[in-house]
Amino acid sequence: MTGARPVWHAPHRGEVITMVDQLPNLGREQEMLEEMGLSHIDELFNDIPLEVRMQGELPLRGPQSEEEIIADANRLLGSNVALGERVSFLGAGLYRNYIPAAVFAMISRGEFLTSYTPYQPEVSQGMLQAMWEFQTLLSELLGLPIANVSLYDGSSASAEALTCSVRVHNSKATQKNVVYVSQLTPPDKISVMRNYCQGAGIILMPLKHNLDGTIDLESAKEAAGSCGVYVEQPNPLGLLDGGITQLKEIIGDNTALIVGVQPVSLGIVEAPGIYGADIVVGEGQPLGSPITGGGPLYGIFACAKPYLRLMPGRIVGRSIDVDGQVAYCLTLSTREQHIRRHRATSNICTNETLIALMGAMHMALLGPEGLNQLAVRNMTACLLAKQKLSEIQTITIPHQFGHHFNEFVIELPGKARDCLNYLDSNGIIGGFDLNAWYPNQMNWLLITVTDQTKAEEIELLAAHLALWTSKAVMS
Amino acid sequence: MSNLFDHKGAVGKGYSQPQPLLAAHMITLPESLTRKNHARWPRLSEPEMVRHYTWLSKRNFGIDTGFYPLGSCTMKHNPRINEVIAQLPGIADVHPHQPEHHLQGLLSIFHEMQEMLEICSGMDQVTLQPVAGAQGEFTAVRCIQEYFRSRGETQRTKVIVPDSAHGTNPASAVMAGFEIVEIPSREDGRIDLDAIRAVVDNETAVMMITNPNTLGLFEPEIAQAAEIVHAAGGQMYYDGANFNAILGITSPGLMGFDAVHYNLHKTFSQPHGGGGPGSGPIGVKSHLAEFLPGPIVKKRPIKAGEEAHAIDDLWFGWYQPERSIGKVQQWHGNAGAVVRSWAFYRRFGKELRTMSQHAVLNANYLRHAIFREAKKAGVDDMFCDGAPTTVAKHEFTLSLQPAKEKYGISAMDVAKGLLDKGYMAPTVYFPLVVPECMMIEPTETESKEVLDEFAKNFVEVLQIDAETLRAAPITTPVRRVDEVYAARNLCLRHSFEEDEQ
Repeated sequence: MTGARPVWHAPHRGEVITMVDQLPNLGREQEMLEEMGLSHIDELFNDIPLEVRMQGELPLRGPQSEEEIIADANRLLGSNVALGERVSFLGAGLYRNYIPAAVFAMISRGEFLTSYTPYQPEVSQGMLQAMWEFQTLLSELLGLPIANVSLYDGSSASAEALTCSVRVHNSKATQKNVVYVSQLTPPDKISVMRNYCQGAGIILMPLKHNLDGTIDLESAKEAAGSCGVYVEQPNPLGLLDGGITQLKEIIGDNTALIVGVQPVSLGIVEAPGIYGADIVVGEGQPLGSPITGGGPLYGIFACAKPYLRLMPGRIVGRSIDVDGQVAYCLTLSTREQHIRRHRATSNICTNETLIALMGAMHMALLGPEGLNQLAVRNMTACLLAKQKLSEIQTITIPHQFGHHFNEFVIELPGKARDCLNYLDSNGIIGGFDLNAWYPNQMNWLLITVTDQTKAEEIELLAAHLALWTSKAVMS
Repeated sequence: MSNLFDHKGAVGKGYSQPQPLLAAHMITLPESLTRKNHARWPRLSEPEMVRHYTWLSKRNFGIDTGFYPLGSCTMKHNPRINEVIAQLPGIADVHPHQPEHHLQGLLSIFHEMQEMLEICSGMDQVTLQPVAGAQGEFTAVRCIQEYFRSRGETQRTKVIVPDSAHGTNPASAVMAGFEIVEIPSREDGRIDLDAIRAVVDNETAVMMITNPNTLGLFEPEIAQAAEIVHAAGGQMYYDGANFNAILGITSPGLMGFDAVHYNLHKTFSQPHGGGGPGSGPIGVKSHLAEFLPGPIVKKRPIKAGEEAHAIDDLWFGWYQPERSIGKVQQWHGNAGAVVRSWAFYRRFGKELRTMSQHAVLNANYLRHAIFREAKKAGVDDMFCDGAPTTVAKHEFTLSLQPAKEKYGISAMDVAKGLLDKGYMAPTVYFPLVVPECMMIEPTETESKEVLDEFAKNFVEVLQIDAETLRAAPITTPVRRVDEVYAARNLCLRHSFEEDEQ
């Protein structure tokens, strides 16, 4: 077909230099082709009909060397405003944290970083055991016997929890295919839930909250007989809600209590498994992962025994090898897509194992006392911020008398959006405009404080808020 | 120490923390909300933690350890510059809810990746939101579902998948609420146009297929298949798992597809990390674009006052498609994986075509070398091509059925034998249509010497007697693991009670 053309045409010399570090056979094509009895690399593509062939070269830029790539990365990513460069009070589901250096050092080991899903257990004992240990760490933290080795993120974990609750409870449910979801849940998370639920015909009903931000336990009775109830602890307003600990009694045994958690809070706050949660999910990020622009993160998924065989995701079991020594392997794979195909409990294949491993390493370094201390740091920083901001006459704190973890709402005498712009021009990332979640609230700002927040940063925020709000009141 | 939970130091202090801003007793949680018992987490010092995970890592096999010819998974080398870039504060320490003017650099990278993926696939619009291939599949079939609903074609509830498809295809379609119609492949492993004709009708929503197919063979009749499905009013979905074979050579757009997902963790070298994270962007033709999950990055010339934050006098903004299906991940996808893959793309640019040529060159060379060595050793009667072909694409299948019949040696036995030779085993028993299947994908990042050496070792394994091979592996950290025992004696976490006995 291309007989008239000369043999394999190597890219230009400059280009060879940039790619040769990734293509060890560059320049040796002819040698390899000849051994196969071929003369031109195009002969390897003879099976692709001409009418679907791409004409000419890809209309893309030329190749770059590693040094050029890092220079461009520094220029582009360096133009972003990193949270650490500013004073930041932005959270709303993702939280600034400190990850010990040893976590990054260990996660960089190529044996972890460059391995695939451990389908060959004999040469994957390291990752398998690390994930089995991760399952144990989470099981202990959440107060439930079973945890998987991660889902994509908190939102997909909550969505998969809802579909799992329907698989388990629908046969006995009096409200078939119905789940209740806290009305405070961020719309982006609800959107993920709807996408995951619509295919199975699952209906999402709102679970009502009182004006003080807590669950309306009276109306929660309506959820009894449905398949599942989803609430968050702390809730999206940062409130720790004692009512949630009574919820299981209200909804009963045939309805799954699904609790979304911020895992660090559980250094102080009761484990949901203890107060009757059947499934616990959450964004694992605060334990072990940087925010990374919203991903990769890792979704926590833990459950009680009745959910085991209908739960999503990969699970590691402890077994023995032919010599009887302890060995680990993937187990209960018959729930999964590569075995069960269209009858699988979920389509998940690639998950977030490496980020979960970072979580396990962070947990291992913290230990139980360290986690408690971390939770205390988060909660007292939040307490201090609430105190300082409550001293500003022109601000009200709608849920002031609640117990907050990481974040709380302030109500401004003007639009939160305008306030954020003012703070931004003063080098402060002021928080999250709750108008994005709750269309009726124009003036609500969600202030997030973590273990990384310093007292002087809270002072600075308070000073600027006092200034802006007093002007807003005047105008 | 063999187990993390053997570490029971008196105080857990893997790293010391600063004092809290207020004293702990200022926290006055009610009893019902207060944790009563610590999690029984281990207590390790930093050196203990480092040794534990170093020890575990040594019991794990990665691409860095050795050749990893795992078919369907594209286990290419992961360039380390990508990891360095992903740790820059401009990606590691940014929040998806920051205003656009804080994130112009990241958005410009997103935009560049959207455009590059559109060009390589012949699609009109890409979204980077799905975080894995399976989620990409799910997202795409959801978009197609909404497209049909918007046209009143709600009767289109069926998704056609070949019997050789990845398991995620049918699983994703069912999650979106579709019914699966599985069609048999031809004897030669290719799609059967008559089988498609026999099942398409006005209930057909999508046909999901990968090309090269899971046997590593290009489907020469793909354009005709697309015509049949389109003529029946259905849509064509391209599973991008095998995209590494075709960049710059052909594209899903040219083949007649309407939607495609990409696996950045395969084609664009995001490390697999023991099972994840990945990134599974999707691209669609224009008629599906308004249904994509947002946000998508669009660019425009800068306006007055934007100069200080702008990149090259352009402004990059988030855009929400009008009839979007909504979100499949709460944020903007796996941005960190996108950035790593951007660094990989920059290395090749338009020479991504050369990359694909080398992936195919290596696969064909390895196939050739295995047959060559087998012939030399007189064991070429023990296996055959998984499907008849003259050339493979980026991967190929072998059937060990002859070895099974003649000597009682299974594909799994050979796989375990290869572990003893210091290799990761190829994918075995997939695709299901090939008996005693072994699926081999060397990728473009292996040298000729590595391929020759593997071919020799593969043939050496075939020469081992069945009984010895059934006992393999013997040099690995543990020997053959009893998966049935694991399933019958479920032990999914450490038992502290066992410790005390």
